[in-house]
Amino acid sequence: MSLSSLDPRVTRLQIPDWTTPMDAKKPMDQFQTFQAFVQHKENKPIEHVGVVHAPNEEMAFLFAKEQYTRRGNTCFALWVVETSNVMVSPYTEKGESLYNMIDNEAVENLEEGEMPFEIFHLYKRGKQHIYAGRVMADSPDEAIVQAKKLYGNEPKPVLNIWVVQTGDILFSDEDDKEIWNTLSEKVYREAIDYKGADKIKQFKEENQAK
Amino acid sequence: MYGGGTIFEPTKLDALKDEDPIKLAEFEARIERGEKIEPSDWMPQLYRKQLIRMIEQHAHSEIIGSLPEGTWITRAPGFKRKLALMAKVQDEVGHAQLLYSAAETLGKSREEMIEDLISGKSKYSNIFNYPAFTWADSCFISWLVDAGAIVNQLANSKGSYGPYCRALERICAEEAFHLKYGHHCVIHLATGTPTQRKMMQEALNRWWAPMMHFFGPPDKMSVHTETLMKWKVKMASNDDMRQQFLDMYVMKIREIGLTIPDPNLRKDPETGKWIYTEPDWEEFKRVINGDGPCNKERLAVRRMAEERGAWVRKALAAPKKEYIAPLA
Repeated sequence: MSLSSLDPRVTRLQIPDWTTPMDAKKPMDQFQTFQAFVQHKENKPIEHVGVVHAPNEEMAFLFAKEQYTRRGNTCFALWVVETSNVMVSPYTEKGESLYNMIDNEAVENLEEGEMPFEIFHLYKRGKQHIYAGRVMADSPDEAIVQAKKLYGNEPKPVLNIWVVQTGDILFSDEDDKEIWNTLSEKVYREAIDYKGADKIKQFKEENQAK
Repeated sequence: MYGGGTIFEPTKLDALKDEDPIKLAEFEARIERGEKIEPSDWMPQLYRKQLIRMIEQHAHSEIIGSLPEGTWITRAPGFKRKLALMAKVQDEVGHAQLLYSAAETLGKSREEMIEDLISGKSKYSNIFNYPAFTWADSCFISWLVDAGAIVNQLANSKGSYGPYCRALERICAEEAFHLKYGHHCVIHLATGTPTQRKMMQEALNRWWAPMMHFFGPPDKMSVHTETLMKWKVKMASNDDMRQQFLDMYVMKIREIGLTIPDPNLRKDPETGKWIYTEPDWEEFKRVINGDGPCNKERLAVRRMAEERGAWVRKALAAPKKEYIAPLA
């Protein structure tokens, strides 16, 4: 006996009448996680938007495109990186900047390294990390010290830093931008496309007339 | 957005006795200051447990809630309605993904959550155990079930857990369209031909009781509820949310000529509170425990998607990779 439903599509699926519980899922059944970053406006920095599960970075890119850039009017860039490739600093307490904890002498003595790293700042607890820029270093720890050289004088305290080696990120390129060209046409996904006030008014007037 | 009326686990009075009192005080002080808690922060076990429960139930509600509406995509009246409903259902499934990720930051894997949904161990919003008989039912869901969920979620988005709040902010931003779309659909039917009006009224009659159930049974104020409120896990009582919903929507329902099927429904001019017939809470209990018109179908459809999609996940598996919980 298969399941019979009000919905003819569900009935056609011929879902069996299971008598045993579903097999336990294996670890990684839902794949590894990726962090996604989006640039919503051309003059705004790219920022962290959330997570997707995916079997590889190409699919992570597609899932992130669908999950984080299908709404809104514009998108200029999308980056994804596997979570295991993100180095996370400790959180500071009481609004102190993480850069204050790095010895100035270490900053002065450190030479630029060979590898590019991307730096992301958190300015407020509860908000998302925002892209700060690229540094050249030999390790993630050194990248933070290099970052202090470039961004340590910003007025806003930096509460937490993410460091990612540039080669670990999948970046959207110029050609990819076309996939966002249709965003502004899809007004049926905007509240502004649904106006009901006139109909309600007309209905009320007709009813009063009766 | 579909979450509402979260069922919290009853807790024992001594649930906090094993927690480090200094860390607990720091944790509570942080919440008191209005700062968010992030995944790497220390938190009491009870906080972690109740948040996982709440966020997971919310995620399941999004997935299951998209089924009664999704059922009408192929039969939506007209191309524009079809496009809009497809976009809305896609949003809801996207919301589930966001919420599962937020729950994962607390240490429960997505595999476990899917298993617990399918085995019936985890709950979801009870309202989706009822069927969408006609197009008008799907219009009711789009407008008023979403409206109820927005009341609940706007409150929760001011809670204390960072990843959940961020997910909810994103979700609430996408909701504006759902609510307006749903209202537009209901207005169209309610001000239309006599047949359309009858169809809309009948849907309202079917869904009113589940809608009153939606926010959950009246809260018994207990130490448990007080703790959850102090920690900004639960942000408003079930009754307060129900009152807020009635405040916002009773007039909007009545102004388009629909009749709410509760002869006792009126606002008490002295207290400013709505008086209504208590919905049947025995029925609520019975349905949430599995004996509703659609419980079996909802879980069977979900299980089938898992089982019939298994080969795709197997083909894509990357066995050398390692799972790392989302960072934020």
